[in-house]
Amino acid sequence: MTYRTTLSRTWWLKHNAFKAYMLREATVLPLTFFILCLVSGVYCLWQGESQWNHWQTAMGQPWVLAVNLLAFFASLFHAWTFFQLFPRVMPIRMGHISVPANVLIAGQWAAVLSVMVLFSWLFWGKL
Amino acid sequence: MNDRTTENMTIKPKKNHRSSEPVWWALFSAGGVCFAVFIPTAILFFGFLQPLGLIDFSYSQAHNWFFGFWGLMFSGAFIILPGFHAAHRIRHGLHDLKVQRHGLIKVICYGLAGLISLLTLGIWFTGIIS
Amino acid sequence: MKTIHITRYLPESSEIPFVQQFDIPADDSTSVLDALNYIKEELDPSLSFRWSCRMAICGSCGLMVNGKPKLGCKTFLRDYQENITLQPLAHLPVERDLIVDMDVFLTHLEAVKPYLISDDSLSTEPNKQTPTQMAKYQQFSDCINCGLCYSACPQFGLNPEFLGPAAITLAHRYNLDSRDHGKAQRMPLLNTEEGAWSCTFVGFCSEVCPKKVDPAAAVNQSKVESAKDMIIQLFKGNL
Repeated sequence: MTYRTTLSRTWWLKHNAFKAYMLREATVLPLTFFILCLVSGVYCLWQGESQWNHWQTAMGQPWVLAVNLLAFFASLFHAWTFFQLFPRVMPIRMGHISVPANVLIAGQWAAVLSVMVLFSWLFWGKL
Repeated sequence: MNDRTTENMTIKPKKNHRSSEPVWWALFSAGGVCFAVFIPTAILFFGFLQPLGLIDFSYSQAHNWFFGFWGLMFSGAFIILPGFHAAHRIRHGLHDLKVQRHGLIKVICYGLAGLISLLTLGIWFTGIIS
Repeated sequence: MKTIHITRYLPESSEIPFVQQFDIPADDSTSVLDALNYIKEELDPSLSFRWSCRMAICGSCGLMVNGKPKLGCKTFLRDYQENITLQPLAHLPVERDLIVDMDVFLTHLEAVKPYLISDDSLSTEPNKQTPTQMAKYQQFSDCINCGLCYSACPQFGLNPEFLGPAAITLAHRYNLDSRDHGKAQRMPLLNTEEGAWSCTFVGFCSEVCPKKVDPAAAVNQSKVESAKDMIIQLFKGNL
């Protein structure tokens, strides 16, 4: 006769590696909120100018700003984990040598930065 | 660490059914890239700078810009793909929390992501043709 | 002296596992396996555990040390300050004390056909392989079948039908081997829900792997292969 342990619903609280995993998975919760913000923005833009202004005011409410601050940190945490996983899932070889993981990670952060630069250029004309 | 059960583990014969997961995983991965590369900037600009009045994004500017080619790109990279990314993680997260209704959860998660996609594309399309 | 708590299970006397405490002398070179052998020789001969090579090659002395899967021979008491808790490997049925039933693990390994499959069984020519071809799979061939990754994997814990890290890594290792022609036979299993697709890249399997095989990478590369396979079969009209 053998016995077997089964995982309880709270298995992920029992080890730091699992807590970090669940935190990574939970980054999509504030992301979902921000996506809904964008969708409502698009909807307001479609409805007309007064609705668009209304959306801008709504986005400035303290609790919305607070959740979006959370979403901002969640997106950076997600990026940090995601960029590390990428070279392991899709290792890139150039001829005989494989591209070092930290080169790929740095390249991805460069992409994040260039999107920020692009947006700054779009909104402020020039840097 | 765990609850105990006294049982003998039985190994069921494997059914070689191809999983539909590659489709969802591809959307999840593409959405993950968008979440990491585009969303931080989007939150910074549309979540903080714009509501705090640090950038001026007028109605006519926004309207001209969104109801065109770039609006379609924006919808895909900032709304639709991140939406499927979120749906995928929520679905697997519920499995991790031992919520057992797998079929129902799958339909709800991807269904909502699909609904948001259709809504966004519908708004974009009707805005383009009007 | 160090205090060790061991989860014991003696099915002939009780159906319920219990925790027993042992105090053992320890210096900087005392491994968990040394401690277990000391207990068996000096304190309690009824204690059961598996071991063989004591040098991280045989893969038989896996157990949970303070909740983390470890090889007893490669884990030293000097790295633990206070109490040390030893338990049998998680997610596997326990037969007695620290001995788990590895049947599920072995069945899953066997299921992926972990051997070279040649396209011409009659050929007597030796296989040629360049260093570049070998480099593609070498990391994934270092597995010693200790099972630590299965104890680290919550997806296997939640669903024991999941093929699991070591088996998928082994399948990927042979799929990447230039001498092998068995990929078409292995893909149908990897393509299933219980194949590569139960993985959510928790990544703890790679953290606990004593041979740095990185099973999480192999499993997720297998997802890419499975996705490619789906597209190929779609174009061939087989879906």
